[in-house]
Amino acid sequence: MTLRVRLRQALVIARLEARRAFFSKRAFWVYLLALFPAAAFLLHTLEVKASTQRYSRYGIVSSAQIASIAPGETPEQVIARLGKPFYDRGYTRRRGGEEPVRYRYMGYFDGSARTDLTFKNGVLERKRTEPVLSFEQDRTIFAGIFQVFYLRLAVFFGCLGIFMNLFRGEMLDKTLHFWLLAPVRREVLMSGKYAAGLLASVIIFTAGAVLGFLAMLSPHSSLEVQAYWNQHGAAHLARYALAAALGCAGYGSVFLAAGLLVRNPIVPAAVLLLWENASNYLPPMLQKITVLHYLQAVCPVRMPLDKGVPALVQLFLQPAEPPSATASVAGLLLLTAFVLWLAARLSRRIEINYSTE
Amino acid sequence: MSSAEVVFDDVSKFYGDVLGVNRVSLRILPGITSLVGPNGSGKTTLMNLMTGLIRPDRGTILVRGLPPSDPERLMRITGYATQYDAAPRGATGFEFVATGLELYGYSRAEAARLAWAALERVGMTDAANRKVAGYSKGMRQRVRLAQAIAHDPEVLVLDEPLNGLDPLVRAETIQLFREFAARGRHVILSSHVLQEVDVISDQVILIANGMIAAEGQIRNVREEIREHPSQFLIRCRNAAGAAAALFGLDHVTEIRLNDDRSGLLVMTHRGDDLSRVLTQLALQGHEIESVIPVDENVDAVYQYLIGGQS
Repeated sequence: MTLRVRLRQALVIARLEARRAFFSKRAFWVYLLALFPAAAFLLHTLEVKASTQRYSRYGIVSSAQIASIAPGETPEQVIARLGKPFYDRGYTRRRGGEEPVRYRYMGYFDGSARTDLTFKNGVLERKRTEPVLSFEQDRTIFAGIFQVFYLRLAVFFGCLGIFMNLFRGEMLDKTLHFWLLAPVRREVLMSGKYAAGLLASVIIFTAGAVLGFLAMLSPHSSLEVQAYWNQHGAAHLARYALAAALGCAGYGSVFLAAGLLVRNPIVPAAVLLLWENASNYLPPMLQKITVLHYLQAVCPVRMPLDKGVPALVQLFLQPAEPPSATASVAGLLLLTAFVLWLAARLSRRIEINYSTE
Repeated sequence: MSSAEVVFDDVSKFYGDVLGVNRVSLRILPGITSLVGPNGSGKTTLMNLMTGLIRPDRGTILVRGLPPSDPERLMRITGYATQYDAAPRGATGFEFVATGLELYGYSRAEAARLAWAALERVGMTDAANRKVAGYSKGMRQRVRLAQAIAHDPEVLVLDEPLNGLDPLVRAETIQLFREFAARGRHVILSSHVLQEVDVISDQVILIANGMIAAEGQIRNVREEIREHPSQFLIRCRNAAGAAAALFGLDHVTEIRLNDDRSGLLVMTHRGDDLSRVLTQLALQGHEIESVIPVDENVDAVYQYLIGGQS
């Protein structure tokens, strides 16, 4: 049997399996996981639009006028100069025998940032300006969502759903014998199925990453977006997509092998999740056999860590000495190839035993 | 050893602690061979072993010289219609058969041509474009058969292939098996309905509790079991007289008179000697109308061998 015939067989298997991987009822939740960042940022866009409308219902005040307000001014003076605020509320605090303290809060909007003024006993005590929309902040949040949620959970569990199903799902459906009764080497069968899973997962999760990225950009001004795109944006998007695709390749190979080895997907998923997320505790040599180790280096923006994040959580989330992006891609592909080689060996041991499933 | 045989050599298979088959040694020649046994006796296990769906814990298997561990070569010469549906979700009968053929390396056009030919052989062309999920049990059986024969295999393995077929289709299917066998091919089928394989098999393998109880042509199987008496139904005018004449023979173990007194059931260890005695009785004037060996069918032999487990 020639390599060409085997390749053709693998392509036929991939073509047939891809349909199942894309449209399996068992895998519909994979789409929900993939679309979560896009949905979150679209909600954020809607929320920004709604806020902007609410803030500007009494008009927009120029930022120069807002900047001219200084501590010590009274609410009346401020209203006289800036007009009616988009909100104006207050209360009086009374404690024991102390003199009552009157607080009053007012807000103004310059079209892109809201300014909150706090008056104490009729005098401006504090002024705080915060942009409604921060491109820098959104990019950082996207980086956080991508690395914490998308790679560690969405791609991880999505690949679990897609790749574990390739063999285990067919065993449950009692259809695996269709493939085993074809004149196909088990390694070719495994390759075809892996290709199908990879195609489905890469399309779903890179599309999810790209949509999430575009949704993140959507509320920002076209000028800002254009400038970012010309400088880093295109490269960032490409690296996010690459990280998602590599994540699918890496996790996919692991779950394909796990599907050949064990019946219950929960056990390998739990073990792998722990192994991946505890990788920072591991010695450097062992870190190299985690998928996350390589993916983190491909991501364009280091994951932001708030100072308030507990030290233990920081240890889990912060990668230790990530390799270069090129080394990461090569390392992950090597790791994937090794796991697939193991899976190919395992595939020779597949037996049909529907009655015990 | 001929490479045109299916050979099991001391094969055992266990599912954990449960016995599948135990120390099976078999040589299956081309022709129609039936694996007969009750549910759970190991018929499907033997079929799965010879097609590589499961691996033996011990022993070796060769199908026309090829080991089941080499599906790439084995499945080119083997077609297996299992009890399970394997059609992809939403596939039509035609798609199911044609898709399988593409894995043999046929082009789409060639796969389509062969698929239609196979569907035509099993009389399924009218329903070929309907979804398999909507097929009746008999139609599913036939489309599985079409898939198994589509690449014109040398070894056709069929798990309960006549289940759910109406009499006309059953006859056509049996004719198809005979045509395959006549071309020097193996048709290996399983059944627990003994009468249906009795009439179509060149050889029968009786299985009970994972072990081969007997193998060979049914008549030979019967003769191998010398410890069990043969049964003959004799129709004659003077049944009581014939019974009296036969009762003194040392190889006759039991005689039962029919209620109508015009026939008797004789059990003997030596059928040939009984025939000679009956000829003498006929010559002496006993009007013997017929002598029917009642247990030369699979059912009776099977009952003897496995003690009525079916």
